[in-house]
Amino acid sequence: MKRILKAVATSVGGWFEARLRLKPAVMPILEHPIPAGAAGPKGWWYVFGSASMTLLFLQIATGIGLALVYVPSADQAYQSLEYLNYRQPFGWFLRSLHYWSGSGMVVMVVIHMTQVFLHGAYKYPRELTWIFGVLLLLLTLGMAFTGQVLRWDADAYWGVGVGASMAGRVPVAGPGIVELLIGGPTIGASTLSRFFALHVFIIPGLLITLVGGHLWLVLSRGISEPPVPGEPVDPKTYDAKYHEELKKGKPFLGDAMTKDAFFSALVVLVVVTLAAVIGPKGPGGLPDPTLTAANPRPDWPFLWLFGLLSLSPAGLETFVMLAFPVVLVICLLLVPFVSNRGERAPSRRPVAVLIVLVGGTTLAVLTYEGMTSPWSPKMGAWSGDTIPTAIVKRATPLELQGAAAFQNKDCRNCHALDGVGGRRGPDLSTVGTRLTRDQLIDQINNGTPGGGNMPAYGKHVRPAEMDAMVAFLMSLRPPGQPPAKVALVPAPTAAP
Amino acid sequence: MSEPTPAKPTDAAAPEPDRRSALLWITGGVGAAAAAAVGVPVVGFLAGAVRARPVDWVPIGKLSDAGLFPPNETRLHVFRNPIHEEWDGDSAKTGAYIRYLGKDASGQEQFWVFSMICAHLGCPVTWFPQSALFMCPCHGGVYYENGDRASGPPPRGLYKMPWRITDGVLEVQAPHLPTLQDTLEKPSEFVQLGVIKRDRSEQA
Amino acid sequence: MTTQVLNRIPAFLIAFTLLASGCNPPGKPTPPQTSGRPEAVTDFNVLYAAHCAGCHGTDGTLGPAPPLNDPLFLKIVPDTELVRVVTEGRAGTSMAAFDQKKGGPLTTAQVKVLAEGLKTKWGKPGGPTDVPGYLLTPGGNVEDGAMMFAMACASCHGDKGQGGKSGELRVGAINDPAFLALSSNQVLRRFIITGRPDLGMPNFTEKTNRPHNFSTLTAKDVADLTSLLNSWRSPATK
Repeated sequence: MKRILKAVATSVGGWFEARLRLKPAVMPILEHPIPAGAAGPKGWWYVFGSASMTLLFLQIATGIGLALVYVPSADQAYQSLEYLNYRQPFGWFLRSLHYWSGSGMVVMVVIHMTQVFLHGAYKYPRELTWIFGVLLLLLTLGMAFTGQVLRWDADAYWGVGVGASMAGRVPVAGPGIVELLIGGPTIGASTLSRFFALHVFIIPGLLITLVGGHLWLVLSRGISEPPVPGEPVDPKTYDAKYHEELKKGKPFLGDAMTKDAFFSALVVLVVVTLAAVIGPKGPGGLPDPTLTAANPRPDWPFLWLFGLLSLSPAGLETFVMLAFPVVLVICLLLVPFVSNRGERAPSRRPVAVLIVLVGGTTLAVLTYEGMTSPWSPKMGAWSGDTIPTAIVKRATPLELQGAAAFQNKDCRNCHALDGVGGRRGPDLSTVGTRLTRDQLIDQINNGTPGGGNMPAYGKHVRPAEMDAMVAFLMSLRPPGQPPAKVALVPAPTAAP
Repeated sequence: MSEPTPAKPTDAAAPEPDRRSALLWITGGVGAAAAAAVGVPVVGFLAGAVRARPVDWVPIGKLSDAGLFPPNETRLHVFRNPIHEEWDGDSAKTGAYIRYLGKDASGQEQFWVFSMICAHLGCPVTWFPQSALFMCPCHGGVYYENGDRASGPPPRGLYKMPWRITDGVLEVQAPHLPTLQDTLEKPSEFVQLGVIKRDRSEQA
Repeated sequence: MTTQVLNRIPAFLIAFTLLASGCNPPGKPTPPQTSGRPEAVTDFNVLYAAHCAGCHGTDGTLGPAPPLNDPLFLKIVPDTELVRVVTEGRAGTSMAAFDQKKGGPLTTAQVKVLAEGLKTKWGKPGGPTDVPGYLLTPGGNVEDGAMMFAMACASCHGDKGQGGKSGELRVGAINDPAFLALSSNQVLRRFIITGRPDLGMPNFTEKTNRPHNFSTLTAKDVADLTSLLNSWRSPATK
């Protein structure tokens, strides 16, 4: 049986090979020698690029599947997503897989880039490979953003709004860029069509072309050998050295390719598991811009930017929005030119390690901040977050009225009590120990001096409301703690 | 370049130099014409997004309608933006926060009409009547009832929408997406230079 | 290599059929109950948690505002009054208007769900009989009110409403002008009738912490007491 199968396979294969003549073109590529080190245990460092590409193929496959059903029209996109989620067999799974595989692709590309950076693999003669890689990172993020827009829900709508508002700050040309971006004077049908074309044709076209270029460069200049401390790169001697190294090399088809295949399969399994267990993202709130209950949040690859925009000081904001990303990309593109020679081993490159540590920590912290977004008022807190019952139980009638006024004046949207409520302003659970009656009245009336975080409530708090609220706030102290007092030593006054 | 290339020893079978360079020139010319014939419409098509905006007015309601414009109370009025396509769906809806202020000294009816779009980064603001504040859910911008910035990152107050009263009906000018350099009161001249004039009647 | 893959095909097939046939992985989404538009929410519990719990407490008690989970209150309050107050709020107090027609966040239908749902959820049959009416009545005698205050209220609230003690509990002043300015006569009348069971204040008939000769408050007593409290307001807010 087996023998017959083999004979059939050989003769059919032989028939095609006799006409296609693929072997002479493909076999040298598969069997091209790679440095022995990269085929050994250190070869596990080299699996992230191929995993990114595997996920790209998965994205293409699932994306084509989704495009068979999805309707890129502003009035029906949402319904077609619901159809995919609830009625099309496996529709939810394909959506889920597309989301998780896309997320995985962002993760893999970043890990791949970090590995290449740490191992100095971008140095001579692989500068152009790095540049292609940076462009591929940008395109991957472009796919993530445009993909988020195709999930035509409230987050998508306002995500475009935020993007457009940022673009609108470009000096002079801003308004024109906005109209080009959203396809007209308002966000709507033409915006979605435009992002569909970007997500399905333009960016994938560029992505596939650049992946081809990236691979060509990997093949033509070879993959880098694992870094060895004390063996710096010198462009004058590198080529000859690498050539010698290859003489002891191993064919790619073999251990190296098996590692790639194993890791890729593992990554796909993880992505499939996430897709099956966590499920697709959204669609969230309806794409109706008049529903003010919206609480727009970007997808996770952009949470760090959301955090950065919220935390940057007002004076620097436009710079952070417009110039900072450009500077960042230029820095990335310049990496192989700033250091295209010298040591490659991370143990000899403390600055590189430091950059990765600081950059990674910054991104992680900003993402966490973006996720929790303590700067956003909690719009429903005033009527939905209760006053802790322990406070109610010990309150006087006046303090109870103060607590009700505190809720009524929406203070809770920014101020938490016992950790519940908005987090834009400080938690007021113990404010009675910090501020005196006069300070509280001043703060409520005038807000933060100089137009800071707290608005001035002066005109909208009646005297009785002020009395009650201040009484309530002064009572917010742990049992046994005295109220705040004015410092006995008078503050130094300016000399007359 | 227009001069004939210096004569080279050639095979008898090869075309004469004059004919060869003439063919090159003609190919170049025909190619340029073809590129222009395709390129001009394509560039025009792509630039079509940036176009002169028609000024359009949306009726909100009669001033005499009881309860529609309660004096000194801010209300969200939702309407379909005339700047839209047939297949916009709900995304063509937009809203204005409107407060009737009564008559001014000269007997003119006065309104505050604000866009819902936050001046910081374009998220939708919500009106809180008890504290008389507009709050934005994205980065925490807050505005006073008169639209002035109260706190948070917005660099200016809320966008004011042009309005007028025609035959006792409050009308609001159809809004584009307002941004810092392209407000509703003072649209960007850069955009007004749009190459394609779009006529209102063309749309209807 | 090939045989290994071939051997695994059944396992893949099983996994695939499991996935295809009814075996629902946890990630499979279920269709939402409502359309996603805020006005489509008509569940009392959801609306209450989002719009009322902040002041009236999670289960209708122990919030700074008067408790709504109070069978005696729900027994006497007219339905129309509940709808009216949720719709337009109570001017001068911290009760906001919730109907969109009055600038609030809810539709008229949602206001109705809330106002009617209170009695369905927390109303109870039984309880004291001959309860004085909920709504304010005209008249009421301040002097009679003062005598009744000394009898029915002073043991906890102090003889002038300045506050005192009820057992271990500190009782704050109710003659405070700011407190009175933010309290409508209607809510004062309600507390005289229903007390605040969640904070230990007795209702019109309970004898807790009251003198032995205390007898159930009549409709006139309630009106007199309301007048007395009203007379303590500072002249500007009377």
